[in-house]
Amino acid sequence: MKFDSTDLYAALIHELKNDLGLLSMTLESIPLQGDAAHDEPVDASRMLCQGVVDRLQQALLIYKAINQQIHPAIDAYSPHDLVREIQDRATALSRGRIQIEATLAEAVPALWFFDRDLVEMALINAIHNSLAHACSALQIKASMVEGCLALSVHDDSAGYPEHILNSVATNTSYRSSGTGLGLQFSKVIAQSHDNRGRQGELRLHNDQGAVYSLLLP
Amino acid sequence: MNPASIRVSDAFIDYGELRALVVDDSPSMRNALRLTLSNFGVTKVQLASNAAEAIFQVKGKPCDFILCDFNLGEGRDGQQLLEEMRHGNLISLETVFMMVTAEAFYEKVVATAELAPDDYMIKPFSPEVLRNRLDSILLRKRAFREAYRHFIAQNLEAAIAACDELIRTKPKYVVEALRFKGDLLVALERSEEAEALYKDVIQMRAIPWARLGLARTLHLQKKEDAAEEELRDVLKHAPEMVAAYDLLSEVCLAKKDVSAALDALKKGVAISSKTVRRQQKLGEVAHGNGDLDTARTAFANVLNKGRHSIFVTPTDFGNLCRVQLEQGDLKAVAETLKKNKSTLQASPEGKLVMAVTQGMAHVQAGNLQEAAKLLDEVAQLRAAGTRGDAQLMLDLAGVSMANGRYEEADSIVSEVARNAHDSEALLTKAKRVYEQAGRVDAGASVLSAATSNVRKLNNEGVVLAQRGDYQTAVDKLLAACDEAPRNPRIMLNAVWVILKYIDQAGMDEKLMGIASCNLDEAERLSPGHSRISGLRLHMKDLESRYGIQRRAAG
Repeated sequence: MKFDSTDLYAALIHELKNDLGLLSMTLESIPLQGDAAHDEPVDASRMLCQGVVDRLQQALLIYKAINQQIHPAIDAYSPHDLVREIQDRATALSRGRIQIEATLAEAVPALWFFDRDLVEMALINAIHNSLAHACSALQIKASMVEGCLALSVHDDSAGYPEHILNSVATNTSYRSSGTGLGLQFSKVIAQSHDNRGRQGELRLHNDQGAVYSLLLP
Repeated sequence: MNPASIRVSDAFIDYGELRALVVDDSPSMRNALRLTLSNFGVTKVQLASNAAEAIFQVKGKPCDFILCDFNLGEGRDGQQLLEEMRHGNLISLETVFMMVTAEAFYEKVVATAELAPDDYMIKPFSPEVLRNRLDSILLRKRAFREAYRHFIAQNLEAAIAACDELIRTKPKYVVEALRFKGDLLVALERSEEAEALYKDVIQMRAIPWARLGLARTLHLQKKEDAAEEELRDVLKHAPEMVAAYDLLSEVCLAKKDVSAALDALKKGVAISSKTVRRQQKLGEVAHGNGDLDTARTAFANVLNKGRHSIFVTPTDFGNLCRVQLEQGDLKAVAETLKKNKSTLQASPEGKLVMAVTQGMAHVQAGNLQEAAKLLDEVAQLRAAGTRGDAQLMLDLAGVSMANGRYEEADSIVSEVARNAHDSEALLTKAKRVYEQAGRVDAGASVLSAATSNVRKLNNEGVVLAQRGDYQTAVDKLLAACDEAPRNPRIMLNAVWVILKYIDQAGMDEKLMGIASCNLDEAERLSPGHSRISGLRLHMKDLESRYGIQRRAAG
């Protein structure tokens, strides 16, 4: 049997992702003991493990995006359910270290059309970043902006460095660290959503912390 | 509004009460999932490592939700398991079926399948995701309870009304309710209303399932060009949507473009090769088009990939052998029969397929004596009431004629013709059997004698019914049913006039019983026939008007 090397890499990443998934579930099952010497390293390994899983998922998707166009599987989903799920995941990841809040603006409709899996992957990536940099609080928000559903993650960190803001705003690729990869990934996902000529967007800015927003038309 | 508060106020799900089934071929994954479920209170968890075990489990003990991995190793995959469970009524619409996929590609195949799971998750997932997804689906099932209840009772009008109520009052479920209503309208053949509904959804967003629904309603209205155009464009945006290839092949067949139909089926098979019915269709169309290599591969796949599937019947073994015979590959035929001997010997239908196929092989090899022995065996099976599909029966007639047993052959062909008096394709095949035996004139008279009486009784019945003389129409059509006891078209006409007669003259329980049996039998012979659901509805309506309890099935 002959292997195409890129397919081999994709298969390998895939396998690793599944193994890591199991590892992550195993780590989840270790009960906390109220003893910092035990609990902190367990928490840290859980976070790290989840982070690696998510990064691999992104790598697979970007690999796909390079080779062929991403066709998002768009259907009607509830933004309320989405925000609740992301909040629950963020809360579990932070284990009380960071305060997680979620808000839904009144104007957000009961249903919106998007690819739930892609949007969740992008938001979880943003959550990982924020959990790593926030001081004490993180806010997940759904609102309506320019007729689009805006899903935001707002933290109380020092904010995005200038070069990242620039690279996202100007469409130049930034790829010296993991952060760059994750944001590129969010951008690909946002842009794969379009509706009646309007394309989705990733917007970053600083407002007493970093603000990450996905705009879905 | 804080989302956490919704959970408390709007709904409470008692996970301790729910029974779960986890299907995964990896033991560590099964255990991890069980542990995760126990974290939010699910303690009644059954485990299965493959489809067969899962079916065994649900037959033994119904469950509230099923978590199933798409990839179950050898044997059936999660999608096949879902189809068998839903089609076989092993689980009801109220049972949650959640698919777990690891491969990014299959997640889309699963999500866009014609019979989609209630939701799917991509591995690996965190416990919070599982909990949230289950919450949402269980609440959705709760909201749809009325609609499902009516649907299960075959009360489609009431189910539609329940959907309308959801559309009016529950903005969160609008799209889902429209989707279910669309299916109901299509089942009731209200194509124009369904078309308008799908256009409304597309107006919101051109999501693939709505476009597929639109294409289906166009096809039902015989607007084939528009249907094809829609489907080709859907596939450009959602190339993994296998259901669109299936429908495209139907549309192409309706346009008599067989090679395009084959092409569509091949593409569907390339994406999801395990679906038995798609392989069956591919084999059938390829065979009809003289593409024996494709037909052979497809029919062989039906048997290989559909091992233990409820959709595989003795007919499928006969189909593969027929192609192998046509290719002159007697060795392959012998191998197919040898390999599947125990399966075929297990039922009279299987024995019939085996005997007819062997008979054909002997005729082809010139061993008429051996063939004659098999014909005796077949005669016994037939005398006991065993029948095969029409093609097999025509093959049998061919073997009989090769052995000079003309009378037997004529009676077999006559029976096929009576039961398919309006099928141009089958009558043509029957003619070919006589041509090959050099009995063209005999064939013409057998076929015309067989069909003319059925056709006459049927036509008279229909004309009488149109004039409003339902009573005589019932007599004529019941006589036609005696003449052609396995003819779905005649049976459905008989059911139709009986119901009309009862409409007019009041309840007649004996006739109602006959109508009910005929309808069941027609559905068995011709599942999914477009007239069945309408007639069922009419029957249901009469039963409730006259306060008759529905007879328990079987």
